[in-house]
Amino acid sequence: MSAVNSKQRQFDALVRSLSGDLFRYAYWLCGDEALAHDLVQETFLRAWRALGDLRETGAAKSWLITILRREHARLYERKTPQFADVSEIDVADDRDTAQPEHIGEDAVIRAAIHRLDPKYREPLLMQVLGGFSCDEIARELNISSAAVMTQLFRARQKLKAMLSGGDAAANVYEFPA
Amino acid sequence: MNCLEFRRQLGSDPQTVDAAFLRHRAECARCAEASAHAAGFEAALRRALQVEPSPQLAESILLAQATQQNRRHAYLRRGGLLALAATLVLAIGVGMRVEAKPLSTQAVEHLREEAEVLSAVKPLSAESVRAAFAQRGLTLSQVPGGVAFVGCCPMGRHLTVHMVMPEADGPVTVIYVVDRGSSRREDFQRDGWHGRSLPLGNGTLILLARDTDHFDSVESAWRAALAG
Repeated sequence: MSAVNSKQRQFDALVRSLSGDLFRYAYWLCGDEALAHDLVQETFLRAWRALGDLRETGAAKSWLITILRREHARLYERKTPQFADVSEIDVADDRDTAQPEHIGEDAVIRAAIHRLDPKYREPLLMQVLGGFSCDEIARELNISSAAVMTQLFRARQKLKAMLSGGDAAANVYEFPA
Repeated sequence: MNCLEFRRQLGSDPQTVDAAFLRHRAECARCAEASAHAAGFEAALRRALQVEPSPQLAESILLAQATQQNRRHAYLRRGGLLALAATLVLAIGVGMRVEAKPLSTQAVEHLREEAEVLSAVKPLSAESVRAAFAQRGLTLSQVPGGVAFVGCCPMGRHLTVHMVMPEADGPVTVIYVVDRGSSRREDFQRDGWHGRSLPLGNGTLILLARDTDHFDSVESAWRAALAG
């Protein structure tokens, strides 16, 4: 098999196995299906040109997500948010917070995710959809692991607050006695 | 690990397999209960995030990559590196003024930049054409026959589907500008090319050829394809 054919086969396999995951990530990143489609396509076209940089097939998804994030960043100006440390966060007991499956359908959760501030949504997507660890997210976002944990904690807290009919900005939970 | 540390870890990384986290969960009934609640939330979250892409997504990516490869090879065959450099210099030099040009002018310039695709003669599958439009968020009600090239090209700041339909006396270039409509129909001549521009759907259909012999039939075919 020639090197060209081998590269093409590898690329085809990546597209067929990961384009769906990349689309989901892009969709939740930008909130627009057509734009997500274009982002995913541009990501794979860049990946094709840089395929030699991919050393481990197992790392392909995170590698592609990194490319996708850069593509997305080219579209939007970004500001570096300020983060509190995770140790400063009040912790709630979720037992009294209704579970989302009891509150509504997926559409309700999706609407809440859309309302989530991007600084909370993005690390959550990287963790849940991308399979990144906290340290990997920290490297990708160029912030500390503690800041990532804070964002992830608050992302979930705010989602639960919205799904309970609360204000996304609310942070009123207290750790149970 | 105490309960506070466990809850913080649970809220930020509920899938963790950290030994201290797992040990605390096994030992503390209240935290185990919180962990079970968190698992339910995570399952609902994962389910909600599962939006599905267009079924043609993978095919359209592979088509775009193949198109890009073909263009690159064509450029290289024709000593196109110089042309590419000239195009880049032109793009950088006049990029800020592109939007001020009429679509017809932009279309002729785009045709020149991608002149190599005019030599395409082998008909593409209807699925390839549908995939290109699907990539732009459009569904064709039917696919006109005889499309030998299709690409999702940027044209200035606009998104287009660029096609070539070879005829016996020369190719007809069809450019559908997806994101910009026009208020009127216009026949024009520019730089030796005959052109037709007309509003169609939410966009603008532009035809370019050396003569106008096939414009009516091609226009009719794309009106039917993009109807509705």
